Amino acid sequence: MRWLLDHQSAFSEAMKRTRDRMTQFIVVICLLGVLLAIPGWLGQIWLGMASLVPSDAVQSEALVFLERDLDLESRIDLERSLEDQAVIDAITFIPKSEALDALSASDGLSQMTVLRDDNPLPDALRVRFSFVGDEAGEAAVIDGLRSDQRVMSLRYYPSARVQYASLVEMLGLLGLGLSMLTILGVLMAVFLVSAADVVDDRRRIELYTLLGASNGFIKRPYLYRATLLGLLSGLVACVVIFGLNTVLSSVLASNLEALDPELGSIPMDGRILITVAVVAIVASWIGAERAVHRRLHALH
Amino acid sequence: MIEFESVSKVYDGQRPALSNVTFKLAPGEMAFLTGHSGAGKSTLLRLLLGLEKASQGAVRVAGTDLASLNGEKLARYRRRVGVVFQDPNLEEDLTVFDNVALPLRIAGFKEADIPKRVNAALSRVDLSDQAMTSPRVLSGGQQQRVGIARAIVHRPALVVADEPTGNLDPELSARVMRMFTQFQQLGVTILVATHERAVVESLPFRHLTIERGRLVSDDVGASR
Repeated sequence: MRWLLDHQSAFSEAMKRTRDRMTQFIVVICLLGVLLAIPGWLGQIWLGMASLVPSDAVQSEALVFLERDLDLESRIDLERSLEDQAVIDAITFIPKSEALDALSASDGLSQMTVLRDDNPLPDALRVRFSFVGDEAGEAAVIDGLRSDQRVMSLRYYPSARVQYASLVEMLGLLGLGLSMLTILGVLMAVFLVSAADVVDDRRRIELYTLLGASNGFIKRPYLYRATLLGLLSGLVACVVIFGLNTVLSSVLASNLEALDPELGSIPMDGRILITVAVVAIVASWIGAERAVHRRLHALH
Repeated sequence: MIEFESVSKVYDGQRPALSNVTFKLAPGEMAFLTGHSGAGKSTLLRLLLGLEKASQGAVRVAGTDLASLNGEKLARYRRRVGVVFQDPNLEEDLTVFDNVALPLRIAGFKEADIPKRVNAALSRVDLSDQAMTSPRVLSGGQQQRVGIARAIVHRPALVVADEPTGNLDPELSARVMRMFTQFQQLGVTILVATHERAVVESLPFRHLTIERGRLVSDDVGASR
């Protein structure tokens, strides 16, 4: 009961302090919200654009034609050795009969059933590389297959991601750097706001300490206020990200809709919104905890 | 009640703020601590309130060595001490009643018990009629009396006052001192730091003088 009363009184105190400094509170929420929206939006662009790109554009593929007289055991052995490669996502065996049927269907002239007994096509393996595999890893696998006696020939279709790997990497690093910079900016802003808040209350903290209040008792109103600040900043950030995403969708995705109705809008990624909200709350909470702790520490 | 045993306090790279200070204050005793600015009065009070730890020697209150207290134990110790400041340090957005009730709420008193204790404390300082007003509308002397009510509301065994009459005119100073005298008669141990020699000399209590961190005189006074 005492515990509940303490928290209730800390929450009321936090609300009162918020009401007393409403303008400052709103300005800080908007500022933090906009700052947090920057890395959030970069993340949303990254994930959102990925959803617009067909998977075969981001995943490399190779068609490996096997030697005609390759026995079953050797083929399975080859498949197993490929499965062990970290850069390979999936291997599909395409028997020559299936390839013949597909060719017959696409030919449209006649069923090439006459060829069934003397099928001129080789068996093949479709090798699909992983989303995260790097250029060097894929090249090593392809080189290995080219020199393999069991392989007659192969076709390698590198993904756009692999083709432009160095550019993608540079852009990724730039995005990551910008995100880190803005997150750092958010943290600094939160810490400064919390420190300024606590400096304003220096006398109050000293008084409560001398009256025998525990550190927890003193910190609680600040932590409640910080949680509220983080929650609302996160909410503002989510609204900004959502708004920017809608604008981007209307400009970019409407053109793609003509190609495929499913590409009509860039889907909002829920992970981004949750992450932004959590970062806002955690940063704000840590800022308040740190500021009060330092003030209390300075007293002794 | 209070025991300073060969207490020294040295801040980093500075001359000692307190040097080998030894004295005892019996339960229910009242004493004045005088000295010029920078003589070491505030350091001595900070040691007594557990805001500092002695570099050497021991500070004991009711037999407890304050150096052994930390965190919650230290907070609990402070809840048994009343503190009066030169600036009463009132929360302006709380009423007089709520200001006086603060130590009780911090100490976890039941809400039902609080009005009785607060009203008793306010009546001791003749401010019963101001309970629901804001400290902003009170005079300096009234604010100081609210500060004193806040210091005694939880019936502490020890009251420490740091320049309690520093901002008051002589008449109000005398009134505040009379209040301390009344509390002392109720058995409260009181240590008042002040630089107003006239106030000290007009009252028959023990008088400790501190100069450059050293206790240079201990005049027992006429009260004991």
